[in-house]
Amino acid sequence: MSNQFNDKQRTTLIIGAIGIVVVCMCVILTAWAGQSVWNSLRERRGVTTSQGGWDSTTAEVTVAVSPGMASTLAKLAEQFNAQARKTPDGSPMLVRTLSVVPEKMVEQSLANPPFQAIAPDSSLWLNQLDQRWVTQYSAGEGESLIPIGNRRFGDPVRYAASPVVIAAWESVARGLGWPGRDIGWKDIQQKATADPTFKWNHPSTGHASGLLATLAEFYAGAGLTRGLTEEAATAQTTLDYVRAVEATVRFYGEGEDVIVQRLAAEGRNFLDAFVAQEQVVIAWNQTQPGERLVAIYPAEGTLWADHPLALLELGMPGETPITDNQRRTYQAFVDYLISAEVQQQLLSVGYRPVDLDVRLDRTGSPFSGDAVDRRQPQTTLQIPAANVVEVVQNVWWYTKRPTNIYLVVDTSGSMEENDKIGLTRVALRSFVDQIRGDRDQVGLITFATNVYVERPLQPLDEAGRTALYTAIERLSASGNTALIDGVWEAYSRLLVEGNAEAINAIVVMTDGQENSSRQSLSALQRRIQQEQGKQIVIFTIAFGKDADEKFMRSMAEMGGGQYRRATETDIEDLYKIISTYF
Amino acid sequence: MERTRWIFIGILVVVLLIIGVSVVARIVTGGNSPDETELVLVAPETITVRVLTALPVEPWVRDAATAYNATNPTLNGVPVKVEITPMDGLTALGRWDRNDFGALEAGKTMESLTEAEKAALKNFPTAWIPDSRYLVELANASYKERLGRDVFLTDGEYRARPIAISLFTWGIYESRATVLEQRFGGVSWNIIHDAAVAKGGWPELGGDPSWGFFKLVVPNPNKNAGGLTAMVAAAGEYYKRTDISVADFTDPQFQTWLRELMGSVTDFSSASAYTAEDFALFGYSVGDGGQLLESDLLQNMQGILTRWDDPLKIYYPQYVTWFEFPFTIWVGPETSALEKNAALEFQRFLLSEEQQKAALAYGLRPTNPNVPLDATPESLFVKWKDRGVEMVVPRSDAMRNPDREVLLALLRWFQLNVAK
Repeated sequence: MSNQFNDKQRTTLIIGAIGIVVVCMCVILTAWAGQSVWNSLRERRGVTTSQGGWDSTTAEVTVAVSPGMASTLAKLAEQFNAQARKTPDGSPMLVRTLSVVPEKMVEQSLANPPFQAIAPDSSLWLNQLDQRWVTQYSAGEGESLIPIGNRRFGDPVRYAASPVVIAAWESVARGLGWPGRDIGWKDIQQKATADPTFKWNHPSTGHASGLLATLAEFYAGAGLTRGLTEEAATAQTTLDYVRAVEATVRFYGEGEDVIVQRLAAEGRNFLDAFVAQEQVVIAWNQTQPGERLVAIYPAEGTLWADHPLALLELGMPGETPITDNQRRTYQAFVDYLISAEVQQQLLSVGYRPVDLDVRLDRTGSPFSGDAVDRRQPQTTLQIPAANVVEVVQNVWWYTKRPTNIYLVVDTSGSMEENDKIGLTRVALRSFVDQIRGDRDQVGLITFATNVYVERPLQPLDEAGRTALYTAIERLSASGNTALIDGVWEAYSRLLVEGNAEAINAIVVMTDGQENSSRQSLSALQRRIQQEQGKQIVIFTIAFGKDADEKFMRSMAEMGGGQYRRATETDIEDLYKIISTYF
Repeated sequence: MERTRWIFIGILVVVLLIIGVSVVARIVTGGNSPDETELVLVAPETITVRVLTALPVEPWVRDAATAYNATNPTLNGVPVKVEITPMDGLTALGRWDRNDFGALEAGKTMESLTEAEKAALKNFPTAWIPDSRYLVELANASYKERLGRDVFLTDGEYRARPIAISLFTWGIYESRATVLEQRFGGVSWNIIHDAAVAKGGWPELGGDPSWGFFKLVVPNPNKNAGGLTAMVAAAGEYYKRTDISVADFTDPQFQTWLRELMGSVTDFSSASAYTAEDFALFGYSVGDGGQLLESDLLQNMQGILTRWDDPLKIYYPQYVTWFEFPFTIWVGPETSALEKNAALEFQRFLLSEEQQKAALAYGLRPTNPNVPLDATPESLFVKWKDRGVEMVVPRSDAMRNPDREVLLALLRWFQLNVAK
């Protein structure tokens, strides 16, 4: 009996023990499986939160590059990409470029930029970025033993250099005493003041060459060649001098690349001299027939466009950090840019290579002629501290040549499509935001079946600005397209309200075709020819695919301005670009 | 017998339950308990030695690393790879000080880290070659406050060892040096100060009017350890002694003198920390001369000649500052013992006679006493002896390294008086 019970009991116990073992094994297996799933979920969540902008393994790098160098760097990036390099984990290394004005590059680099590396035309911009970054994130720096090293970007490298020069037609340069005499900023400024037919230009202070030209004016105005301070830059005598010189500038603009395009389009008489990198002189002489340009190295000193390239150290809260693969791609691209092969390529298009083994005086070098001089410049202007540079940039708005602009805007029924009228409101507002001179005046004219003067020309003080914003916000679309009548009205008003000391301009935009005007294009042309001495410039924008491109191009040509095409995505940027001309 | 079985089964059940519960508990607590890998030593596939390297020695160390990697080195049978990261010594010090590399805080151990935190340490530097020993001392001081111990050892097996030396010398474009010699009879900080304050610029000094004002080259102290060194050396000559205190730097008369001197620097905004390369690339247009590291000047001498047709002339100052580039191994738990030992092997490689000879081609003075400066035909000391370079440094006074207070006083003064 006892044995029977024991056998039964034994069986039960064995089954029970096996059951317990199985249950425990199940618990262990379930736990392991759960852990794997949890880890995988955690990993995925980590990827999406910390690497929101791009995948954590991407090896693609976007470089923001200043417009003057954009096409060259894009070509080099293409060559680099063609090598089909890969990171150790097999991701393809890709470099893309994005043309951005240096001033905007600095602004965008401060938070969540759409690029990972920057290549402005001068280290000046990196310095400004440094300064603004430290100001923005200086909290905690004071507690640090060594208050340095906290930067928005890694150690920059240079891949090309070119001094900023005064590019002049050879005949103009000889008239100034070139090549036997040292010519300075003062000579150009005196010539422009004394001779009203002398046409010169420098880009806006958003570019290295424009900034240098402006700094040189401030130095000359302050009677200094070094040690420019905020006080000296803002002294009334300095401002008066700079204002007098700026009054002789024909127009400002996007940069030397656009000036060259206009020189090519409009010919020798467009300008007598302009401020640009030495490379522009070389590139022009290589490609354009006719009179050559020569480089004048200003006697008081100049500045180098030193073309730095730097990787941004992204990773602030809410920002996607740079991936290891992006660092690898960046480094590989840097190595490529400073390789002997690429340095030779940069020399061939007129830049001075950073590789000092590449000789500038070899046979066939673009430096072998006398249009440029590889032993120049002999001296440079002292670069003031970043805060003084910023003051000069701000004060320049009060010294620059004043502007009278009529914005002529299409409000015909077709502007309702794809909310073009809404986008135009935003773009116009951005344009007005960019016009900051205390002597600048802006007016607004709309055209549909008829023409309406929404706001006459008025200074952009607080009241004027508010009134203009209100008028812009009220714009609505309906009716036909009396384009020529709109321009005619603006032109007539500028003839009366404009003045010779100012840049007088019309910026006209349409999305369709002329169909309602009483005036004709030929009548407008005759009128412009009759009033040639008044120098009213017409910029035209064809918005969308239905705009009459040929018509708008003709109008820009007869008005001595520029024609531009815009889409829904870039209309705002385009208005901003055009604002740099004023 | 029956009771024994019950007890046996009971124990079995308890054991299995303990295992099960402990596994569940481990998962619930996030798996932060010690990893299995901590219990079983698993050899890594590769040992990577990451060396933060000061800019003046970086080209030599990088080439040495390439040569070293080409020998397929191993340690305990594991392949070793050396990676070089160029970084100015002062910038690196700033990053150590802010703990940018992510060293563990006091009381934390590797075992207590999550996988993500461990992954963040994968690029932690194994070794550091700063410009000078004083930077190591400052980094140690910073970590001592935070962790209560040194992180770079100054004695024992892992102690910092200088791998090459160089000193600060004057490099002046010959055309300009000739004028200075005629006018002042030599080159010194006081002479450079007089040239810098000449109101009429070069014409007043007897030079070409197209040269403009005298332009001094001094590295930006916020980006290059050489900038601080230049200011300390200038102070040494001003006071005619080698030990400079905070009181010396705050003396108003000295500050006026130093401000005038720094007022002749054309561009402190330059983004680059590679001052001698800039000096060569932009030539006399940005600087007529300056006190820079001898090795940097020698490395750029050929480029200067090729680009500007005006060679540099080297002068040795009375008060000299030496950089000894100590190879310093991180001793904290962030890097493994294998990595530390592999770094030590690379340090030995750099000190080998072959690599010390190779340093001569970079204008660096070997620390290995068996290697003379003219040991190889590629030695820049041989190549440029006509430009004023001396194998034996003329009799001079060596400046003492600045302490933390002097360093901070200098940086603050620069920020307030020059950078702004």
